Formats: sequence, C-alpha cells, structure tokens
Amino acid sequence: MNLVLKVLEKKIFALAVLVGVGIWLLVIPVFIGALGANPLEKLLHQSGEIAIWTLGAVLSLSPLRVLFPRSRLVNALNRHRRIVGVSACVYGLMHFGFHLLYEGDAQAIARSFSKPFIWVGLAGLSILVILALTSNNLSIRKLGGRNWKRLHRLAYLAAALLIYHQAIAGKGHWQIARWLLLALASLQIARVTKTALMKLRRPSRTMSIFGAATSPP
Amino acid sequence: MERPISVDTQKPHTRCAHYEWDLPDSAVTPVAHYLRRREFLRVFGLGLAASALLPPGVRAGPPELNDSLNPSYKLDGVKLTPEDLVTTYNNFYEWGLAKDQPKDLANRGWKTRPWPVEIGGLCVNPHKLDIDELIRLVGPVERRNYRHRCVEAWSMVIPWDGFPLARLVDFAKPKPEAKYVKFTSFYDPANCPGQRSNDFPWPYTEGLTMEEARNELAFIAVGLYGKPLRNQNGAPIRLVVPWKYGFKSVKSLAKIEFVAEQPGTLWNQLAPNEYGFYANVNPNVDHPRWSQKSERVIGAGFFSGKQPTLMFNGYEKQVAHLYAGMDLRKNF
Repeated sequence: MNLVLKVLEKKIFALAVLVGVGIWLLVIPVFIGALGANPLEKLLHQSGEIAIWTLGAVLSLSPLRVLFPRSRLVNALNRHRRIVGVSACVYGLMHFGFHLLYEGDAQAIARSFSKPFIWVGLAGLSILVILALTSNNLSIRKLGGRNWKRLHRLAYLAAALLIYHQAIAGKGHWQIARWLLLALASLQIARVTKTALMKLRRPSRTMSIFGAATSPP
Repeated sequence: MERPISVDTQKPHTRCAHYEWDLPDSAVTPVAHYLRRREFLRVFGLGLAASALLPPGVRAGPPELNDSLNPSYKLDGVKLTPEDLVTTYNNFYEWGLAKDQPKDLANRGWKTRPWPVEIGGLCVNPHKLDIDELIRLVGPVERRNYRHRCVEAWSMVIPWDGFPLARLVDFAKPKPEAKYVKFTSFYDPANCPGQRSNDFPWPYTEGLTMEEARNELAFIAVGLYGKPLRNQNGAPIRLVVPWKYGFKSVKSLAKIEFVAEQPGTLWNQLAPNEYGFYANVNPNVDHPRWSQKSERVIGAGFFSGKQPTLMFNGYEKQVAHLYAGMDLRKNF
C-alpha cells in the first residue's frame, strides 16, 4: 500500500496517465487504422470526451480532499491538480483543432461559429486556457493567493458551460454529461454540507458544557 | 427405468433381439468413439463459436440477389462508398449510440429471417407475411445507386437492391382516406441493448405523405451491394428516401400502415425543433447546432474537407413539385 501511494504521488505517474490516455485513444488508433469510416469525427469526439472527463477529474479532487482530509490516497492524487487541469485544457485545444480540421475550409469554419453550441464550447475552452496559462507559481505570486483563487473559481463556470456543450452534442441523449453532472454535483453538495456542519460545530465546541475539555480544531 | 448402455461389443446381439430398441452391431457406436464423444462436442462447439466470431461476410451467407442496375439511377460520375464503410458506420441507436456498435451488437444471434412484415391500416389488401414472400409478391428486385445524406452532415453513395415503395403501396391498395404512410420498426428489448434505454420512445417510427410514398424515388431496400441487407444496415427490409435526411429511412421494418393523420415520428417527438416531419435535405435550413450547407463524404480521406450539399440531395427534378408553394423553412 505504501508503495502504491508512493507511485501515485509521483509527478511522472500523473503525466504518464494523462499522456497515456491520449496515446491510447488518439495516437495508436491512427496507426493501426482503428478510427473507422469517419476518422476525423472519431478523433473529434474522443478528444472532447478525454477533455471533459479530465476536467471532471480535476474538479472532484478538492471536494474529495475536504471530505476525506486524512485519506492518503486523496492527498496523493491532490498533488497532481495542476497537471490534470492543464491536461484538460490541452485536450480541449486538440478537440478544437480537430473541429477546425473536420470543417475543413474557412467558410465551413465560419458557419460553425454561428452556432450557440460552438460558442458555449469556445467560451468554456477560453476559460480553461486562461486558467492553464496562470497555472504556475509566478502567476500565483503576481496575482496574490486570494486573487488567484478567485480567478481559478472560474473553473466551475467552465465546467458548467462544457457539460452543457457535451450534453447537447449528442442527438437526444446525454450519457456522459449525465454521469459527470451527477458525480460533480454530489461531490460539491457533500463538500458544502460538510463545511457548513463544521462551522456549526466549531462555536458549539468552545461553548461546550464540558468546558475546557475541548481543544481548538 | 434406466436404459442399459452396452459397451461390450463381444456379446452376440441376438441376446436381446426382442427389444424394440435393439440395434444391429453395425449401428452401435464404437467404444473408442463413445469414450471420445465429449472431445467431438468440444471441437465442434469451438468451431461453431469461432465461426460466430468471423465477420458476417466470411460466413456462408445468403446468396447474391442477382438483380441488375436500373440505368435511370446510375448516378454518373459519382463514386460509390466502399462496402466495408457502408457496413461499419451505422446510426442504429437500437444497438448503441456509437456508429461502430451496430456491426458487432446486431450480429450476436439477432435473427432477421424469418421476419414477419405487417401491411395494414386504411387499405383494401392488408397482409401479414414473411419478408421472402413479400419480395416474391412485390418484386422483382432491382439495383439503384442513391446518394445518402445524414442529418449529421456526412454522406455516402450506396447501391441499394430493392423495389419501389410505390409497388408496395399499389399491392396494399390504400383507401382514398389514407393520406400518410406510417413506418414502424421492430421492438425487441430482450435482444436489443439500445431499446432497454428510456431515452427514446421505441419502437422507431417514421412517416411519409401518400404523394411522397408514391414518388418514383421512394424505395424499399432488401439488400446493398448485391447482397441481402446486413443486420447493421436494417435487415431484412428497410425504407430508403434519398431526398430526405437518413433518419427518415427506417431500418428493419415491422409494420407499414396507411393512416389519415400525420403520424408521430421518433426524432420529431424527441426534438421537434431539430428534426421536422419532412426532413428534406436542404442546404438553406440549418440544424440548430450545425450548418447543412456542406457535408463530409465518408471515405474521402482525412484532409478532404466538405463538399456542398445539394437541394433535395440532388433530386430536385424528381421531388421539388411535391413541395410547391410550401415554406420549407417552416416545414423543415
């Protein structure tokens, strides 16, 4: 178990998983000819799905840390938040690139930009780009911790936009968005509930009838 | 009573000659074979299982249809979509949402022969008959190369084998009050993973006006590329309406009815703002999420870009009169 945690904590492990998914779903299929009859469409869809799942992963890390502060597994994974978030952005940019290739020419691309479906995706992606560009220690110092945190709360707005983009991408079904929304919403609700309960408990502890027996949290 | 199994071939068979189940020695399975019977089952069974894993084309399939191309529907100068792409890229949500799922999931023992077809509603000559009898009665089968334009903005060119829908309509003899034809696909959630989902109002239904159904282009396909339809392409019998988006062309038809009112159709019920009843291919009326001005040609290659979409998918001459005076933006 200790060994597993040690591996999970390693930066190279996170990087291998995040790059590996792309190699497995976007690179190998090209070389073994497993993309099917409409290869660019497949790449377009797969890259978008990797991006939205990766974004879902990074957004579940901090609620998990609040819910399970002592879990070594959760803490090990939380070390990788930056690289997971940046990966979501990189896969999102690839998805956008495949969209441009799929449309093929300037006119078709321009026509695609007339659709709210595309705007919503682009708006979400733009936020991810801003967040990725400021995902470094220098930016945190320059902005100040508090401002940086405020800025990076935009990740939730990006998630809302991109889950909506994913939900309406399918014809009459929204399988991925449904599961993602369910998972992220329950994690957030659990986190907010726990934080609120802790706040409620704290004053009652200091005023406890057992008096001095309680210790500060 | 337990039936004695004699493996002792030395004993004269006359001993029990009066039993009705008595056999001559020649009919007795040699001991060595008897003892190896499970091995045979295993080998034979493995062979059967292995043959089920082979792609459908490799198995001893149904015979060629032996029809010939109708020269009026040759589509000069247009390249046919390779057969392996037509049979591996299918929107058939009954078998899954991904286009490469139907080719696998629809071929795991799903039987499309025998296949009863019901012809009913407001007609003089209702029928319930097997697909092969229907082909015999309404045939002969001919070949037509048709453009196929999906509402998702991709396209193919497919050599279908079948007969004009008009011939089936004449066969059924609709009554004068029949104004529409309603097409219903099969309902088999036990076999069909997609039909176990509540996301869609199964079974798949579609409809045409009587004039559309009688148009020379409206076609009933029972094969493609000269072979009976593969399960993933809508075996054993499907509709093909080449001037409309692909979702109008119902696969695996179970019922054809003549009705007085415009029938509800699956996609129109699900998203009326995206999929109209008419669903004519029209480059000037966009889908809310994408332009219909151009289409990706399946098989054209990675960097091919898109080609312009034609009004009524290039069949304006044959069908434009059906919609004379109609606002096609409203009746999309």
